Amino acid sequence: MSAIDFSDPATIAFLTEALTAAGASGLEISWPGGRLRIVIATGNEAGVDVSVTPRPAPTAQPLVVVKAPMAGHFYPGSPSRQAATDRLPSVLAADILGFLRVGPLLLPLCAGRAGILTKQLAEPDALVGFGDPLFEIEPQS
Amino acid sequence: MIEIVETGPFNTVQDLGRPGYRDIGVSGSGAMDPLAVRIGNILVGNDEGAAGIEVQTFPFSLRFDRRTVFAVTGADGDPILDRLELLPWCAYTAEAGQVLELKHPPTLARAYVSIGGGLDVPSVMGSRSTSLRGSFGGNAGRPLVKGDRIALGDCANFAPVPANGLAVIEPAVALRDVFPDLVDGALPVRALPGGEHALFPNDGDAFWSQTWKISSRSDRTGYRLSGEPIKPTASVEMRSHGIVPGVIQVPPGGEPIVQMSDANTAGGYPKIAGVIECDLWRLGQARIGSRLRFVRSTHAEARAVEQAVARYVEDVRTTSEMVKRALKAMA
Repeated sequence: MSAIDFSDPATIAFLTEALTAAGASGLEISWPGGRLRIVIATGNEAGVDVSVTPRPAPTAQPLVVVKAPMAGHFYPGSPSRQAATDRLPSVLAADILGFLRVGPLLLPLCAGRAGILTKQLAEPDALVGFGDPLFEIEPQS
Repeated sequence: MIEIVETGPFNTVQDLGRPGYRDIGVSGSGAMDPLAVRIGNILVGNDEGAAGIEVQTFPFSLRFDRRTVFAVTGADGDPILDRLELLPWCAYTAEAGQVLELKHPPTLARAYVSIGGGLDVPSVMGSRSTSLRGSFGGNAGRPLVKGDRIALGDCANFAPVPANGLAVIEPAVALRDVFPDLVDGALPVRALPGGEHALFPNDGDAFWSQTWKISSRSDRTGYRLSGEPIKPTASVEMRSHGIVPGVIQVPPGGEPIVQMSDANTAGGYPKIAGVIECDLWRLGQARIGSRLRFVRSTHAEARAVEQAVARYVEDVRTTSEMVKRALKAMA
């Protein structure tokens, strides 16, 4: 998911065209490295504002952040999955930490790697955007 | 192709059934929990009525011989793919050679395996359902046995599911406003008074007010209930007449029979009531030995429940297509 470069003019052009076609007035995307805002003007001319912040130097043991794969509502994990709940805050790579709910559908959010779950960053049912951080995991090798 | 690695008795290929031939004595057949089949098929990208496997005896396992999208719906309990626990009501991609295993569900009765492309068994009278009574349809007209190999249909709209799976809020949760929870451990089953309801004293009070138990003499044809026998005020001689799933008959012994998916096409016992169609899937998930109560319903309520279910299914369909498209665009 993090492969998209929102500062790429081609991506901005594509998004602008899609917004115009959909009749949307604009969008704003934030990611750890910056922020993109596109405003579709009434005369069909778009205003684009992109700012890229320099990335902090990586630390020795970076935290792993589980991000939202698309926009939706944060839906906490099912309490019936007792085996995984009993292990908390230790998590295994395949553990499902929660879901992203889009209407009646649920996208499972997997830990991705083993470690200690240190933070849950979204409240239950909060609306989150693409790429929003939802969990922090301190990896354990 | 899939291969059945392990199975109990009476697990069959089922779709949404074979309506329209009761007049020539052919039961409708079809899944006991058709809602689970519809949702499973939508998740894997099939038409709602594609054929899958109804598993009612466990453990059950099958092997995929090609990369395949699948989902397990219906019963509770976690399916297992090569020792990795998965979610029920969730579509995943299996690789060639992987084995899917279903263990005995904790509380419910029947699991459904939906597979991308559907099971490519011959369609007989418009359906791929197995008719156990007629020994036709499905996989050679019989239950699955170890070693059976079943071809899969072409997956024309193959849309890969996300690596972590694509799940759905199951009907019992999403529709909890229209499907009331157990009351004192008994499943509330809504029904409308039937043709011979008036034959039973006190407005059928003995039928409506007691808690019935699903007896061990219950199967896909019908559930025999045990409880305090109920008797009509007068014994009547009736000619056999057409019956459908959901019809509740009272034989001379006084313990009711609820006709299910493999319902007889005709019967002569007095009909005290009929289960509303939208509650049949819950009855299909009720286990032998569990308890239920009949709740007197109305046509208006039955229609309202039906509309709520239709909205949910439509919502799952449109949202799953949208989510798959969005994730593909962002990949």
